[in-house]
Amino acid sequence: MSKAVRLERITKRFPGVVANDDVDFEVEQGTVHALLGENGAGKTTLMNVLYGLYEPTSGRVEVGGKTRQFDSPRDAIDAGVGMIHQHFMLVDPMTVTENITLGNEPRKWGGLTVDRAASREAVVDLAEQYGFDVDPDARIEDVSVGEQQRVEILKALYRGADTLILDEPTAVLTPQEIEDLFGVLETLTAQGKTIIFITHKLGEAMSAADEITVLRDGRKVGTVDADDTTREGLAELMVGREVLLDVDHPPADPGDVVASVSDLVVDDDRGVRAVDGVDFEVRAGEILGIAGVDGNGQSELIEAVTGLRSPDAGTVQFLDDDVTDDSRRRRIEAGMAYIPEDRQERGVVMEFDLVANALLGSQHSPAFGSNGRIDWAKTREHAETVIDEYDVRTPGAAATAKSLSGGNQQKFIVGREFERDPELVVASHPTRGVDVGSIEFIHDRLLELREAGVAVVLISSKLEEVRGLSDRLAVMYEGEFMDVVEPAATTESELGLLMAGQRPSAAEEADAEPADRDDPVDAARGGERA
Amino acid sequence: MSPADRVRRALRRLVAASAVERILISSAALLLSILLGAVLVLIAGRMTTCTASDAVYYLGVGFCYDPVLVFDRLFLGALGEPFSGGWSPEGQFSVTLRETTLLIFTGLSVALAFRAGIFNIGTQGQMVIGGLATAILVFRAAGAVSGVAGTVLLIPFGIAVGAVFGGLYGSIPGFLKAYADANEVITTIMLNFIATGVTLYLVSGAFKDPESAANQTVPLPEYAQFPTVLFGGRQDFSLVALAVGLLAIGGLYYLLEHTAFGYDIRTSGLQPDAAEYGGVDAKRTIVASLTLSGAFGGVAGAMYVMMVLGTFQSGLPSYGFDGITVSILAGNNPVGVAFAALLFGVLKSGTTVVQFATDVPPQLVGVLRGLIILFVAMPEFFRMVGRRVVDPGSDPVAADGGTTGGSGDE
Repeated sequence: MSKAVRLERITKRFPGVVANDDVDFEVEQGTVHALLGENGAGKTTLMNVLYGLYEPTSGRVEVGGKTRQFDSPRDAIDAGVGMIHQHFMLVDPMTVTENITLGNEPRKWGGLTVDRAASREAVVDLAEQYGFDVDPDARIEDVSVGEQQRVEILKALYRGADTLILDEPTAVLTPQEIEDLFGVLETLTAQGKTIIFITHKLGEAMSAADEITVLRDGRKVGTVDADDTTREGLAELMVGREVLLDVDHPPADPGDVVASVSDLVVDDDRGVRAVDGVDFEVRAGEILGIAGVDGNGQSELIEAVTGLRSPDAGTVQFLDDDVTDDSRRRRIEAGMAYIPEDRQERGVVMEFDLVANALLGSQHSPAFGSNGRIDWAKTREHAETVIDEYDVRTPGAAATAKSLSGGNQQKFIVGREFERDPELVVASHPTRGVDVGSIEFIHDRLLELREAGVAVVLISSKLEEVRGLSDRLAVMYEGEFMDVVEPAATTESELGLLMAGQRPSAAEEADAEPADRDDPVDAARGGERA
Repeated sequence: MSPADRVRRALRRLVAASAVERILISSAALLLSILLGAVLVLIAGRMTTCTASDAVYYLGVGFCYDPVLVFDRLFLGALGEPFSGGWSPEGQFSVTLRETTLLIFTGLSVALAFRAGIFNIGTQGQMVIGGLATAILVFRAAGAVSGVAGTVLLIPFGIAVGAVFGGLYGSIPGFLKAYADANEVITTIMLNFIATGVTLYLVSGAFKDPESAANQTVPLPEYAQFPTVLFGGRQDFSLVALAVGLLAIGGLYYLLEHTAFGYDIRTSGLQPDAAEYGGVDAKRTIVASLTLSGAFGGVAGAMYVMMVLGTFQSGLPSYGFDGITVSILAGNNPVGVAFAALLFGVLKSGTTVVQFATDVPPQLVGVLRGLIILFVAMPEFFRMVGRRVVDPGSDPVAADGGTTGGSGDE
């Protein structure tokens, strides 16, 4: 068999970030190849290189056995590579036929006008050839999301694509539509087309693909045969195992309940249910870990606890008060510290210097001023304390946050939040992007906080981290807690199973089809159109 | 490198420019605009006819308009002839300062909203509402007091009235944005029309001065207007008003830089997500900053009534819209507003001088003015745009639409 696509040693750098680091990637002609990895692993970047949207910093692109230099998607399309983006690029008021032929319409009268009959015929033929169910005369705005996706695929085929890249194709589909899509992929490969399919969902990669390549942090972790691998094996590849330096972890001595949530239901930005009936409590002097593959509702759960997102049902209790409807500011003042996962969006104000950033969240606190006035001298002292104690590498407190590297931004945020004298610390990926020495330091500080009687909720997709630090470990999958386990008494493969959505008792059942969510499509569409 | 990359790189350099570089860029832009303007004046001068004795000759070619004279009049005229010995506080310089004073308030109004990330196009409307309210209420109150005591009481009262009514009018788009998600650009533009229409209705009906043919309110008594100090008795300028303007600049600076409320505003303007994380109530901040912004606009109206006209007349000059340019010119910095307003004031007052001193048509002078403003404002404007386009210092990685922050250490 020949290779449809071969990417050799692709490196793509953006200012300050290496999105792809020396990635080799090959796809057999006539197969479905899943590109699996967490958000930010570099999957889309790699495919954008293949599709001519990005020029690689270094490396070689080979399509159909020939080395190619793509300056734009137009070149890629000419070489037979088509891409179906996560967000469809269709013109809503135009018909299916018009969308498919757009830009390449059959002409008549010497090219003066579009030959509509021929267009329609071409589309009907194409749909028949691949067994697609589409109405050539329907307007895009009137057809389902699944059909829109088929139109996108037909559009690529119409332009002569042999290799199709699908970016997170299932994100907007219902379970039924997902099955239909997988059927379509089979038909396509049966006719010799090659499919590359970007996803972060293990189950889909397993059931739809022939081969799976896993990316993590911009690097290729491995390529496996879908038949020879297991969900937990894939989960481990995706999440990775970092060597955790010795964590001295004496048993916890939990005190009173500091925070609890009951029956929490939270929707994400698109109105899709992200958290579905979660209960937990965390006590003083205890670390509750929440593990899981990214995107299973952890972010939404945490935002509901910290006051950045209002839940649709359920309650959040903090220090014996119901804080479900309290503002973010009141929760901060009550003693809730929060290390957010998206540090450059939320954790720091990039244009502010570190002094002003040290104040974020405390601007109304009496510790840094009175009567609405800010005591900048005191704030500066505080910023310098954080910089010193948390080893933030910066020329000084007057440097802007954006001048710091990601890891140093993170250390600054961790320091600021830990120094708040909190009752509860919610730490979301506290060591992401931080150097090894600082990881250890942050871990030690987390344990110190625990010793001091602070309640800690720790979210991390690094299995070793949550296992090593947590006193109790909840595993989240598709918006629910699969189980809450004793980390020391649970093996990594048991955790892998849970992260892949299989309850230990019902492993066989769950193996079939993990996607049994409420139909998210209507809500998702509503959200995106808005 | 694609053109888009090139644009992005240029924007990045602009965004990263230091204060000195920015001043240099602005000065170079000013010079360039004058040179370009001079060329335009010359060309226009070739395309018209005049007697040989009126023409000026450069390199043996005759031109009907002299660019040197035009720019000399535009700047030196506006400054009241500082080098020819005829300088007097009663002169044209007072006009310049009068314009400057009014533009300080409208400029601050726009700048404050901008700092909160809100585009307040409605300063004009807020000014009109504030001005009318001042004209009516100060006239009513003027009956109760008189003389010096009257001035001391009525001036602050008038300013307060302007601030309150302008503020209330500004709070409308604030509430609409915060609670109904209505785009403030559209609502403020619409509210401008409403303000103009409603005030015209009122001053042509219920509050019309029966003695006057114009649509205006009954003029305020002399003691209810800004007193002239040193300057500009004939030019409707009061140093007191300018002093209030400078105080307002200092006040807004202090508010933004040294108070928790100002911190909330700046954080919301730069990074709304971080503000939310930091416990800033986004809705409250929107309403509060638009209200305060409207208050500055309203004070501009009060100043116009109590310093310039002595009455409210329909069809106020467009200080509110000029405020947008002033604010952009100033980089939305309150202190910068002082200088931007002065430049604008010079250009406005210089225009009339040029018209008296030369045959250059007023339209052409308008073009010259526009060129100068365009050139000086554009670098700052592109800095503002650039800040949104080139994500400051972070990664433009398309990471699956993921929400992870960059991982710069890896």
